[in-house]
Amino acid sequence: MGYRDYIREERFPTSWCGGCGIGIVLKAVCQTFEEQGFTYENTTVVSGIGCSARSAGYFKLDTVHSIHGRAIPVAEGIKMANEKMNVFVFSGDGDLLGIGGNHLLHACRRNTDINIICIDNEIYGMTGGQKSPTTELHIKTLTSPKGNEDRPINVQAIIRAHDDFYARTTVYHYNHLKKCLKEAIEWKGLSFLDIKAPCISNNGRRLGFKNGYEMLIHYKDEYKIRTSDNGHLLAEKELGIVK
Amino acid sequence: MEKLLLQGNEAIALGAVKAGLSFYASYPITPASEILHYLVKTNVKVVQMEDEIASINAVIGASLAGAKSMTATSGPGFSLKQEGIGLAHMIEAPLVVVDVQRVGPSTGMPTLPAQGDILQCKYGSHGDYFPIVFYPNSVSELYRYSMEAFNAAEDSLSPVILLSDGYISHLTETMVPAEIPIKPRTLPPLGALGTRHYTGLTHKGAFPKATDAEAHQEHMAHLQKKQLEVAKNYLFYEYLENKNSDTLLISFGAMSRLAYAFKDQYSLFRPIRIFPMIEELTEIAQRYRKILVLEMNAGQYLSEVERLLQRRVKLVSVLGGKINLNQVAREVQWAIETI
Repeated sequence: MGYRDYIREERFPTSWCGGCGIGIVLKAVCQTFEEQGFTYENTTVVSGIGCSARSAGYFKLDTVHSIHGRAIPVAEGIKMANEKMNVFVFSGDGDLLGIGGNHLLHACRRNTDINIICIDNEIYGMTGGQKSPTTELHIKTLTSPKGNEDRPINVQAIIRAHDDFYARTTVYHYNHLKKCLKEAIEWKGLSFLDIKAPCISNNGRRLGFKNGYEMLIHYKDEYKIRTSDNGHLLAEKELGIVK
Repeated sequence: MEKLLLQGNEAIALGAVKAGLSFYASYPITPASEILHYLVKTNVKVVQMEDEIASINAVIGASLAGAKSMTATSGPGFSLKQEGIGLAHMIEAPLVVVDVQRVGPSTGMPTLPAQGDILQCKYGSHGDYFPIVFYPNSVSELYRYSMEAFNAAEDSLSPVILLSDGYISHLTETMVPAEIPIKPRTLPPLGALGTRHYTGLTHKGAFPKATDAEAHQEHMAHLQKKQLEVAKNYLFYEYLENKNSDTLLISFGAMSRLAYAFKDQYSLFRPIRIFPMIEELTEIAQRYRKILVLEMNAGQYLSEVERLLQRRVKLVSVLGGKINLNQVAREVQWAIETI
């Protein structure tokens, strides 16, 4: 079984803009599924609402595209009803950390064995570019025309406060992204992958990036992979796994 | 047959277990918590979630994964569950939602009974949907219709609402457990096919059709037809005819227990399946010059009765959770005299 066999290609082209980072994650996830030998019989993807959440529909599996913010409880319900399922939540920063933030807190506490893949573009992309819980300070968006006054959420601290698996990576650092996916799957209990991904259409272009490629290269310059996995919390702009 | 002495909420829980309940998620709320208390002592997988929204969504997930699933709540929680109920209708997930009504709106009077969620059952979520709703009026019936709700959910692949109220759910009565055939699961669980995409978007099969009016009309027609067809097999109502009376009193739940006191004076009609409305009422109503709806709200079911019958109907309303037979009797008398 090749990685493309996990994709519903009849649904292509996808709904995503040129330069979007979600497709890269989709490919990495499918390749990881293949490496793990997952099949449609033991694997499902659950999503909430947003551009990232549309991913669920592109997997050739039984999948659930639920409602805004509620992917985690739906996924937990599936896992609790059928422990044999490998359950993946595939959603964005607004969905998982904004409207769905409370569910994340409690899923961490319960330590449900699900893999949460957060495609973090630091913006509400589908609705046009409003600030999200991960938008950095002073960034101008549709709803922060004078610069964002709210600090971004410290999701690493939330996950680690309950000793769950946290990894931060970007779509530029593809091999690292795949390493994070693999370790997240092997982790028994809740895992959270914070994957920085570009939204050129409704974020990057307002920040002065000319195209998605420029945003990707920006990730290369801005983020550095930590060389030793020492278990300490990741510093700002540091990529790595904390478990 | 062995008799049991049970509280209403316990009867709901016991009926659900009998119907094959295997997953229950809920959040504590008066006057529904006893269902949770009862079920944690059984073999059912029970989770106390962080809120009402998580509960309904966990139940949806568990249902899709193959478990007969239920959640229970009261008015404030029922409001919070509405978006999830809409999703369950859209993706056709079979499950049961119990709503033990208390006085609202808002926090209202948590320990006192009301019937203020009647229209919320039918119109609480956005968009159009066609729910099947049962509203029993005794401990025996809560047990039975808990099972019927699961059967109807399996038949219709939809969230079925079991309504109760703080009065009936907190009543302790002797009951003889009803025996009814239990419908097995028909929806293949997640992982069985690998070809399905459940989405709250308007869709056709596994394909979202978010801008296709025809696809939406087709999906709505399918849902409506299916719900009405299934409801025909769950034609539950009580009609006590009094040939000497030209007046029909319509009531349900707690109020219908009080209405029995008037059976020597008037005819009584009690829908147990309160939605879809009992069509037979149209024919029955033709025999009566005067029709009254007795309900513990400001006229919610009355508007639905008027819509069905295409005629004016009088309201006798009990608000604030205090049911006084003499007062209701006076108001019924007054309402009849003013028709």
